Amino acid sequence: MVKVYLPELGEGVAKATVSYWYVEEGATVTEGSELVEVSTDKATFNVPAPCSGNVIEIVAHEGDVVEIGAVLAVIEEDTVSESEEEAEGA
Amino acid sequence: MAYADLPLKVLNLGLIPYAEACNLQKKLVEEVACGVSVNTLLVCQHPAVITYGRRCGHDHILVSENEIRRRGIELCQTDRGGDVTYHGPGQAVFYPIFDLKKIGQDLHYYMRMLEEAAIAPLKEHFGLNAYRREGMTGVWIGPYKVGFIGIAVKKWVSYHGMSLNVGVDPEFFSLIKPCGLDVKVASINDFFSDEVQLETICDMIVEQMAHVFQFEVTGGSRQW
Repeated sequence: MVKVYLPELGEGVAKATVSYWYVEEGATVTEGSELVEVSTDKATFNVPAPCSGNVIEIVAHEGDVVEIGAVLAVIEEDTVSESEEEAEGA
Repeated sequence: MAYADLPLKVLNLGLIPYAEACNLQKKLVEEVACGVSVNTLLVCQHPAVITYGRRCGHDHILVSENEIRRRGIELCQTDRGGDVTYHGPGQAVFYPIFDLKKIGQDLHYYMRMLEEAAIAPLKEHFGLNAYRREGMTGVWIGPYKVGFIGIAVKKWVSYHGMSLNVGVDPEFFSLIKPCGLDVKVASINDFFSDEVQLETICDMIVEQMAHVFQFEVTGGSRQW
């Protein structure tokens, strides 16, 4: 399981509001893809998926105010080994 | 904060539809994020458009959608931060596509620097008492808001940005509750008897933006 955290957004930014989920619980995501948007003051910030896998839990929902470092979601990481990936690509 | 002189490309897009500018920004964000493009500053004006962020309250647009369209104004939802605002002719719009990882990686510092890029020239060149208000992001002159900020950040690259009213018909702002607040809105030209050219202000803000972020303007089109 890989937890997705709200990253540091800058000095003095202690919290942000979850403003938009690009995916629903159960969705398959790829590393680096758009996962969730958070807002602070006049800024939106896209938190990307830290790994490829399946979003098994959305912890913070749209409208929730969350602190820096809080868990936003949990992803079950793909367990496809490199050899399997090579086989798929062959 | 001090950074090495990073190259900055400035592109003047002239009068460009809002959606077209958004598409160009998203393309540039990907290019800047992977290092194919250098930091790029887009400068433009838009045909009349009311834009609103995802957090915008529906009661912040004060007239019906039909009425807005009847007046020839577009209506667009956007992914920037902030509430509802208006763009139109007579307003200078700045879209910095900057790699924030190289300039502090700090959303609020970045927005303060955008404000500074507008405030300094308004004070120094025009003698206006422009200032920022704590907790009220934007550029103010007296009780009036003249500059508006709403940004988005993806892969730590910024897009959307700042607009400054130079000579905007105030009637348009009466259709909305700008930024979701009860604020008075004005244009730079409201403070002078002689009209200030939008191009002159754009040039000064581009210079100041390069200065505050310690960028070196190296390319692009600077013909306003």
